[in-house]
Amino acid sequence: MRVRVTAETFDPQAEIAAFAAGRDDAGALVSFVGTCRAKTGDVAVETLRIDHYPGFSEKEIARLAEETARRFDCPDLLVVHRVGVIHPGEAIVLVAALSIHRANAFKAVESLMDYLKTDAPLWKKESGPQGARWIEPRPEDHARRAKAEEGQR
Amino acid sequence: MIHLVFLGKFGDVAPAGLGEIALPTGVHTLGDLQHWLAQREPLLGQAMAATRTRLIVNQCVAHDLSQPIADGDEIAFLPPMSGG
Repeated sequence: MRVRVTAETFDPQAEIAAFAAGRDDAGALVSFVGTCRAKTGDVAVETLRIDHYPGFSEKEIARLAEETARRFDCPDLLVVHRVGVIHPGEAIVLVAALSIHRANAFKAVESLMDYLKTDAPLWKKESGPQGARWIEPRPEDHARRAKAEEGQR
Repeated sequence: MIHLVFLGKFGDVAPAGLGEIALPTGVHTLGDLQHWLAQREPLLGQAMAATRTRLIVNQCVAHDLSQPIADGDEIAFLPPMSGG
């Protein structure tokens, strides 16, 4: 399990390569990279700021990742999440999962992203020419989270 | 002294100087503290009342507002999260 919260930009491809290096125990690697958009709907975004609660945020993200790895039988999971000020085009989050066969790796990445959206102690604020606003989970984020939880039972 | 941490939008309305305060007289529980804050800082009180607020004590999730507070505790106020 590798979980990192960082204020620095990161290179998702290099992170994935390092994560997968030497892993001949897994036949599948699935990854997802979320990047900062230049606009949300019609509203231009100049910067995205993500606040975190040092110590607690890392601990909670690691807990979510561990639950996901256990549930989908993944030998390893990688989460890298940016905090601080982020510019359009930069990577915000990388989630990668290893599994024996592809189905579980796909499911693990999708499920962990659903949980991160609503349960990771991170707070996003978008700023642009029209001002700044805090982002909260959308109803569809809660719906996806509920569906992910349903699949868990 | 107790340490208070205001995350996300709560940080925008919490005045500087609330990060470290003497445990106020009459405040014994998390519920007391929330009430005291709302009285003292109405904007913060309104922001907390308008959304789901989670409380974290010494980095552990608090499930009950009757949980006691002791000198030296760190209490964080979390608005709804938006990761990913």
